[in-house]
Amino acid sequence: MTLVLAWNNVRTNRTGFAASFVAVLLAVMLVSSSGLLVASAGADDELNGIMGLLVLSALVSGFVSVFVVSGTLSLHVLRQRRTWGLLRSVGMTPWQVRRLVMAEALVVAVLASAAGCALAVPYAGAVAAFMRAVGLTPAGIPLEVTWGPFVLALVVGLVVTLLAAWGAARKAVRAGPLEVLRESAAQQRLMPWPRAVAGVVALAGGVALLSLVPHVKAVAAVPTGLGATMALCVGASALGPVLLRGMGWILGAPAAWLDPGAGTLARASLITQPRRAMSAASPVMLAVALACTFLFAVSTSDAAAGVTRTGPSAWAAPVLVGSGVAYTVISVLNAMAMSMAERAEEIRLLRSVGTEPGQLARAVCWESLIVTCAGALLGTGIAAASLAALGKAATGELWFAYSVPQYLGLVTVCAVSGLIGGLAATRKARHGPLIS
Amino acid sequence: MSDQAVLLDGVTKTYGGGATEVAALRQVSVGFPRGSFTAVMGPSGSGKSTLLQCASGLDRPQSGAVRIAGKDITRLRERELAVLRRDGIGIIFQAFNLVPSLTAWQNVILPSRLARRRPDPARVRELLHRVGLAGREGHRPAQLSGGQQQRVAIARALLGRPEVLFADEPTGALDRGTGHEVLALLREAADEFGQTVVMVTHDPEAAARADSVLFLTDGRIVDVLDRPSVDQIGMRLGGRR
Repeated sequence: MTLVLAWNNVRTNRTGFAASFVAVLLAVMLVSSSGLLVASAGADDELNGIMGLLVLSALVSGFVSVFVVSGTLSLHVLRQRRTWGLLRSVGMTPWQVRRLVMAEALVVAVLASAAGCALAVPYAGAVAAFMRAVGLTPAGIPLEVTWGPFVLALVVGLVVTLLAAWGAARKAVRAGPLEVLRESAAQQRLMPWPRAVAGVVALAGGVALLSLVPHVKAVAAVPTGLGATMALCVGASALGPVLLRGMGWILGAPAAWLDPGAGTLARASLITQPRRAMSAASPVMLAVALACTFLFAVSTSDAAAGVTRTGPSAWAAPVLVGSGVAYTVISVLNAMAMSMAERAEEIRLLRSVGTEPGQLARAVCWESLIVTCAGALLGTGIAAASLAALGKAATGELWFAYSVPQYLGLVTVCAVSGLIGGLAATRKARHGPLIS
Repeated sequence: MSDQAVLLDGVTKTYGGGATEVAALRQVSVGFPRGSFTAVMGPSGSGKSTLLQCASGLDRPQSGAVRIAGKDITRLRERELAVLRRDGIGIIFQAFNLVPSLTAWQNVILPSRLARRRPDPARVRELLHRVGLAGREGHRPAQLSGGQQQRVAIARALLGRPEVLFADEPTGALDRGTGHEVLALLREAADEFGQTVVMVTHDPEAAARADSVLFLTDGRIVDVLDRPSVDQIGMRLGGRR
């Protein structure tokens, strides 16, 4: 019975299911292929020089995977609040609802992890070939397929998926069935205590790591700085809803002024649903914070050492950070699509009171843009803090190197994928029949 | 024909296809005169909601024409339909009437804002007062009861004084007193402002406030009563059962 329900649920929530599937698949692929690369390079003494960067990028991949998978899964489960409420009101116990959620998550995790492992070998091969092509590893990395990385990736994929689903299911069934069915359930408390505490602790940890950066050994400075960035990302993401309500208010003001109809709608939905907005802003923040820290930390230490990289070696950092960033960009698209897909009913209502097609599309675009903008601002702030600490460690001054084209390129890619996700997910609601 | 604000001409609407095809409206032709108040009644599944949806341009019929102010709305493009819904029509649904992120006030003025107009605040305040929501202007839908949400939707539909008002069970979720006030508002829209009101209802008392009552069964108009009393409507419904 539970399986039948779970299967029907998967069929009726295709967007969320597809998003979760893609998130887990890519996470497993990324973690196992980085693992493969590290293991293969570790076996070869000549590759010691590149080892540090490989390990760092593997760590970044792992962190991004855990972050994105847990975010996507809990968004997927919480989106279906009404379904859970309905099932409870016809007599399902909280335990049965939780089992249903877990059954679905398990199906997603197993299928997506298997596919991710299968894709990991060709992907690792492609990355190795690319690194060789740009001259980073002239002799290439001889790929050795071992079990270790797959086991690690599978365990991470399954455990993170199931834990995220479990946590979200607990939250979903805690509210009474009727409370959920009433629309007021959408207005949850903005900042539950455990979340606030976790956020503050993570922020404090990040600040502590930042203050450590100038005092650790030179080799450990970059990893410590990246660690600080990660901790600050976790903290900002936990406290995000509060931050985003304010940012939505401020960033939405020009939109509402320029485009009274569409801009006002976008702004209002950001202010009233900052948690939903944060789930889409988080991956942008992560992409910007990690990529900037990684890229500009390398250029800062080069500048401090008086090194000017040209040719192939200038590619080292961008290539290594590439996979992780590509993944977060896909998850920006994912998260935006999911947070917009649940708005079908609202969009149909807006149409039936006379919102023009152009106004609707603009409202979706404004909302995506404001969300990516807020995420990018948070990410920039975090990266700037880490980079300033790293710069201080390297040069004794609060200074760091950066590249405006690289930065703008990154932010643009995030903004465009957010727009594509938002517009694609609302296409049917914006153009399809009004009466279902 | 120009005195008909809304005119349905041979409208047919079917759902599904093949063996499971269900005809919701079969060749329905009916006119709603300008400034009239018409109630549509019938058992569930008789096609009364479909009639409302086709007449208001929410749904497109398979065949036949729907004319509002002489224009065939089944041929309009999406953008033209949007402008018509915004400026020419007011719709009150049974449920989920309001945009969750906007306050009651913002929901009421939404169509005007979409048309880049600034509505008169005094009139918005008066309308919200008339539907019994004075002091709740800043509440969001989640902080309002179902009946209150519906009354916000009524205020929204009345604000722009659109040519035609469509209401699906507008008194269904309301207590008697508020229901009377809502019917009085609809009556006044027709009598004083010459708006055309089409209301689907189950309630004979509500239907008795209309100028005429259409009875639908199996997708066809089977009867029309003019200026009926509650008892006449009750008997008409009872006789069919």
